[in-house]
Amino acid sequence: MAVTVKTFTSASEAAGALSSDRSARYLGGGTLVMRALNEGDVSISTVVRTQDQALSRIDASGPRITLGAGVTFARVLAERDLAFLHAPARSIGGPAVRNMGTIGGNLFAQNPYGDFTVALLALDATVTVAGGFGARDVPIEEFLQGRERQTGTLVLSVSCTRPANSEAFRYRKIARIKPKGGSVITLAAHLPLSGGRIAGARVALGSMAPTQIRARAAERALEGRAPDAATIAAAASAVTEGTSPSDNALGSAWYRREIVGVHLRRLLSGQE
Amino acid sequence: MLELRKDIFADERDDNLKEIGKGTQRQDMLGHVTGTSSYFGDHKLQGMLHLKVVRSTQAHARIRRIDTAEAERSAGVRRIIRGTDVPVNLNTLLSLINFGKDDEPSLAVDKVRYKGEPILAIVADSEREAFEAIAKVRVDYEPLPAVFDVEDALKPGAPVVNETYPKNAFIYHDVYDHQRLRFGDADAALAGADHVLEQRYQMSPIEHAPTETNGAISAPDTNGRYVVYTSTQALFFSVDTCAKILDVPSNTFHFIGGTVGGGFGGKVDTLTEPLAILGAMLTGRPVRYVFGREEEMQYGPPRGAERIYIKDGVMRDGRIVARKIRAFFDSGAYTRLSSYAAVKCAAHLPGPYTVPNVYGDVYCVFTNRTPATAMRGFGVTAMDFAIECQMDKLANLVGMDPMEFRILNAYRDGDMKAHRREAKNTALIECVQVAAEKAKWPIRDEFRRASSRKDGGGSRAAIPPTPTDSSRARPTTPSQQRTSYDRLPPTVTREPPRDPPPPAPPPPSPRPAAPSHGATRFSSVFGTRRR
Repeated sequence: MAVTVKTFTSASEAAGALSSDRSARYLGGGTLVMRALNEGDVSISTVVRTQDQALSRIDASGPRITLGAGVTFARVLAERDLAFLHAPARSIGGPAVRNMGTIGGNLFAQNPYGDFTVALLALDATVTVAGGFGARDVPIEEFLQGRERQTGTLVLSVSCTRPANSEAFRYRKIARIKPKGGSVITLAAHLPLSGGRIAGARVALGSMAPTQIRARAAERALEGRAPDAATIAAAASAVTEGTSPSDNALGSAWYRREIVGVHLRRLLSGQE
Repeated sequence: MLELRKDIFADERDDNLKEIGKGTQRQDMLGHVTGTSSYFGDHKLQGMLHLKVVRSTQAHARIRRIDTAEAERSAGVRRIIRGTDVPVNLNTLLSLINFGKDDEPSLAVDKVRYKGEPILAIVADSEREAFEAIAKVRVDYEPLPAVFDVEDALKPGAPVVNETYPKNAFIYHDVYDHQRLRFGDADAALAGADHVLEQRYQMSPIEHAPTETNGAISAPDTNGRYVVYTSTQALFFSVDTCAKILDVPSNTFHFIGGTVGGGFGGKVDTLTEPLAILGAMLTGRPVRYVFGREEEMQYGPPRGAERIYIKDGVMRDGRIVARKIRAFFDSGAYTRLSSYAAVKCAAHLPGPYTVPNVYGDVYCVFTNRTPATAMRGFGVTAMDFAIECQMDKLANLVGMDPMEFRILNAYRDGDMKAHRREAKNTALIECVQVAAEKAKWPIRDEFRRASSRKDGGGSRAAIPPTPTDSSRARPTTPSQQRTSYDRLPPTVTREPPRDPPPPAPPPPSPRPAAPSHGATRFSSVFGTRRR
């Protein structure tokens, strides 16, 4: 059976086509879907596209920013108001991938990809998906937990609150090939300070579980404390709790568990 | 001295070469930068079919049954090719030069020996339809114990990977399970050395990662011939390999190569051409067979893994008096070109240094891994990595500068190499001197004045008395000091000398008359040949 490409003018029509056909997959930038098709993934028979401009909209003026699902990493990098997201955007692929790859697609990227999503998870983003009765908002953590069931869902946009300052949000991707290798591990931390103490710590990890996850034990070690060496050391030693990394060509599960604490310590203490 | 008969070959060589030092444009560069270079994949032929292979999901298994009933009914399928459809379904690449035994089927018949080994080829109207049919093929495997480690593979009782070589080692000249180099008495010299350092080195497989994956398009031509557009790096080699596998004269084929979209050794194995041509023979239509990216990365042949043990004896003054090496090439499940890599490796020992006592055992080993192949200096690259790491460690051990240590031990013109050829045009000393100068690395005057053209030969040109292995008990496996170097105290245990210490490499003396060469020469690949 040949692959059918269906193009719709509105996102809601595309969402309808997507939800009614189990073999349909939404094509954003194509860096994941076209690769799967080229490699012989016969589970995809219909490719759904939309020309809806809403999906490529960026609203970065206020304290809460919204990125359309079709916004590419190259466009994030071109946006001065999104400086806090430049590090994760830059860590993805080479220029060709960044020109095509989208925020929405990254939510579905399997290990060792999906780095931008790690940043969004640390920033407690909200994913807006098209539903039967218009759009609905899903916390990103909930979205990721049910990701395997979301393939028939069209993501419209992602929004999050801008961190208070550049110190409050930190991101680091560990790769063997720089700058465009797959992730050995990816770390992002949002640590807002209130009166010298961390309030609302969120630490997110990529490649440490089947999906991007929060390091809750590390968050507990940081919460309510001053970000000093002792606190950071406690977070680093707790960071593997609840993780379930696996072996792949880039690194073994053992190696990932060994180094994640080291890199979290470096990330939080501002070391290179 | 080579003489070129200019009366016959007037245009063969320009005697006025003057290219060095000038920027010269590569002849294919204009096409590459303007996007007009033509690759095999640019050919779109009318009625072209697409071939994809069913690959083994097991590293080592007997094939109980292959069920293609559902796949045959799948839409767009023109032909399913099994191993029994391949006219000569057993080949080894270097059989073209009578080296090695046929050991590899184009399509596996009774068993699979590595994960990803081709079992069936499906020819369909589109790639998609070929993929859909592949998903409908059922292969019933009986898993067999697999071996992935070169040393485990050589142990008695290890699973037999490839029945052509039941001991999991390539057999040279129908007798020898490894390449062996003996020069002087390495064991005696090690016993008399001030320091002995044994280390283990290992290199993993390396994928060539070409931009263009391996592939070929074959189309029936008139007169029963076939046109083949191919990415091959070795066109005539591929022609003959296809002629053998398909059991037809090589003039049946019109191979068109040309631009290779990245090769580096990864496109000599002729993996796609035979099946593409067979598909065209069986369907009468043009057939295209191209590796996907994951196929190229996972199942395209890599540079083989190697494991190397080096045990060196060095004197306090920095002279290496013995070098003993055991190396294991991981050929994967089939020979391809690794047998030749082991030959090159043995010929390279002990590296570009004059060591009076050298002992080398180099094995080409079969494991249940993806077959390895050629890649840029294969056979020498990993050994050089190991030797040069070892040189740094030895320099550190004797407290010498690593550059000076290399100059001291470098081979010089007129020295006898371990494989009994006189060293000529050596120039390692000069390379080290230039490298030191460019890096502003200070070396002492006496080393700055050293020259490859001086102080070689003489007693350094002599072939030392070399005991045969039968005259002594086979050495036991040396202890594996994997990381002892890092923890070694400055005082290293000196083994009590059992034999009188070997004569020190002699002081400079005038080089003797050039050794005479016989009328025949021995080649490890071809055996004894007349020159």
